[in-house]
Amino acid sequence: MTPSPTRRDFIATGLAAIAGAGLSTAFTPAFGRPVRPADKIRLGMIGTGSRGAGLATLIREMPDYELVACCDIIPENLQKGLSLAAPNAKGYTDYRKLLDDQSIDAVVIATPLYLHYPMAVAALQARKHIYLEKSMTYDIPQAIDLVKKVKASGLVFQIGYQYRYYGLYHRVKEIMKENWLGKITHFECQYNRNSNWRFPVKDPKMERAINWRMYREYCGGPLSELCAHEIDVVNYLTDSRPVKVVGLGGINYWKDGRDTYDNIRTVYDYPNGVKASVTSVLSNAYNGYSIRILGDKATVEILRDKALIYPEITNNAKGTVDGVTGATIAVTTQGKGVEVKFGKPGEAELEPTVFALKDFAECVRNKKEPISNVETGRDGSIAIHMGNAAADTEKVQYWKPEYSA
Amino acid sequence: MKPRWQWVASALGTMCFILSALRPAVMPGTYRITGQAQGTTYAITYYAGQESVTKPQIDSIFKSLDASLSIYQPNSLISRFNASPEGIEMDEHLAYVVGKSMRIYRETGGLSDITVYPLVRAWGFGAKQADAMPDSASINQLLECVGSDKLQVSGRRLSKTNGCVQIDVNGIAQGYSVDVVATFLEAFGIVNYMVEIGGEIRTKGRKLPGNEPMKIGIETPSATEFDAPSIREVISIGDGAVTTSGSYRKFRESGGRRLSHIIDPKTGYPVQREIISATVVAPEAITADGFDNALLAAGVGGAFEILRAHPEMEAYLIYRKADGTVADTASAGFGRYLVMTADR
Repeated sequence: MTPSPTRRDFIATGLAAIAGAGLSTAFTPAFGRPVRPADKIRLGMIGTGSRGAGLATLIREMPDYELVACCDIIPENLQKGLSLAAPNAKGYTDYRKLLDDQSIDAVVIATPLYLHYPMAVAALQARKHIYLEKSMTYDIPQAIDLVKKVKASGLVFQIGYQYRYYGLYHRVKEIMKENWLGKITHFECQYNRNSNWRFPVKDPKMERAINWRMYREYCGGPLSELCAHEIDVVNYLTDSRPVKVVGLGGINYWKDGRDTYDNIRTVYDYPNGVKASVTSVLSNAYNGYSIRILGDKATVEILRDKALIYPEITNNAKGTVDGVTGATIAVTTQGKGVEVKFGKPGEAELEPTVFALKDFAECVRNKKEPISNVETGRDGSIAIHMGNAAADTEKVQYWKPEYSA
Repeated sequence: MKPRWQWVASALGTMCFILSALRPAVMPGTYRITGQAQGTTYAITYYAGQESVTKPQIDSIFKSLDASLSIYQPNSLISRFNASPEGIEMDEHLAYVVGKSMRIYRETGGLSDITVYPLVRAWGFGAKQADAMPDSASINQLLECVGSDKLQVSGRRLSKTNGCVQIDVNGIAQGYSVDVVATFLEAFGIVNYMVEIGGEIRTKGRKLPGNEPMKIGIETPSATEFDAPSIREVISIGDGAVTTSGSYRKFRESGGRRLSHIIDPKTGYPVQREIISATVVAPEAITADGFDNALLAAGVGGAFEILRAHPEMEAYLIYRKADGTVADTASAGFGRYLVMTADR
């Protein structure tokens, strides 16, 4: 979706209109249009830019869904979306019109971050189940409020943190539980790239609409758009959320008019003194995406689609004997990781998002709460905002009790 | 008190005696050769007056063993037998290992069976990872190809009665390799050594110059394949071999259950017995290695039954009790190998 200079006012008006219509929607049944197990879920896609089109490409191959409507204010994006949708899918430039379509069961919202909250609220009021791209909300009050609204709605609400659905992360969590890594004290997360992170702009008037990631008015920069996944992963793996955070950020390399950081380094403090450093640097791409989990027995390094274990070299009792008899140890070269095996034998390797979308369909059909839900989404969003605030103010930011009351 | 000259003479005499005793034997040194072979690591230590065996010699032994016994080499003799519809002529290595395996097959009532390879492959423990777990129909089908009675040896000729029969000597080849290396050292007059390949060990003599016995730790099965081994017991076996088989390091998971890499040749399914580690002491490593898997598959009661028929072997078993706790037990003669904690 594209913010024009007047876009925010426009949305405010739209919200007022919906609030006015609240009386009539308040009497609809507690759950949205029931979906019979055999039915395809009728889906609307709000925002068909790069991420939305990517989701539409995956959805096209899934028997669970029929993509019956797309919405985007940039004509090229809308066209792209419709080309991936069902043959008679409808195109909209106003998402409220899409939400008015009573035949739509669920919506995917893949718009710039600042639009997530108003659109999600409108979709809840229109009784749609929601798959909302990460991160969840633009600020902390929106995150807290959205939890209340989703809980009151009884609708399925999933946040697009697909790694919670990816076998690789399930396996890592399992081996952490089985104590393969020993006592875990630190996470080191980085989401780096060596590029200006911009999309080409033909019409200069469209700069802010297309390159919304460069501007604080629309999002939180690298922390909300890149590192969000890693913050959510640490929350998921530790079953907790940060207690406090320190951070430093700057615009020191891409001095091109952007006002979001081109480098940020934060350190989150989790319960029991576990620290998670979360970094994004836009001028170096070595091991671009990586999460290292440091335990006193081994390190796990999670990369895009694999994870490696590096055992600690410990002094064992071998010093006191001349040889050790035991089951044959396969050769592992020192300093070279052992790949973590995950997934079932013969299982197809799929894009993690496919697993997330499959589960969303399952939740819609069986009225279940998603694993990546409004509360885990809130925890991620609040952590992101705390991290940015720490860098902005150069002051420690604390998780306040009212955040998760 | 003795006159002074007498004291000097006796002192000189003593010194001469000491010097003459030292002259013929050079101060013995410790020589260590380590490397990788057969998918694992090896370490050879010998105590001798000079360095008479070196790493290139050892590595060439491994090459000749691999060319004969390795299922990971498509052109090895064993791979050619597996691919052949009828059989092949064996070399010395394969003939010896097959002969010994057939004997152990008979003496363990079929618990140790080199023809189990088609099942090992189906369960994903072969040279290649399997894509899926086998179903009961495919296991029944594979059982047609399993059974050492389907092998025939006449002279150097090894033939199969059914074209689908394939063999895998991984359970015994490491022990055999240890013996081959030990024999090689002895051919060079080395009589104080320890040969270890992937946890299978043979020792002879003592550590020089201190004349101490060689000590061997028996590993505790650890929870993960990355845990550094910790030592549960320490033994000293003099001239002999010790090997350990454990299902704790090599397994696949299916439905939350660990599948052992040791397949029961009779049922076709991975062994689910209470023993998690079997350590066997025998005069030769091929004997110890050839029996350790069978003891694991036999269970504690069955293992002792096999041991009773083989007084030349002693065994130490670590097993899981019904309540989930881990315990150990040993054959009566095993105790004499244990090094008391105070002497460790």
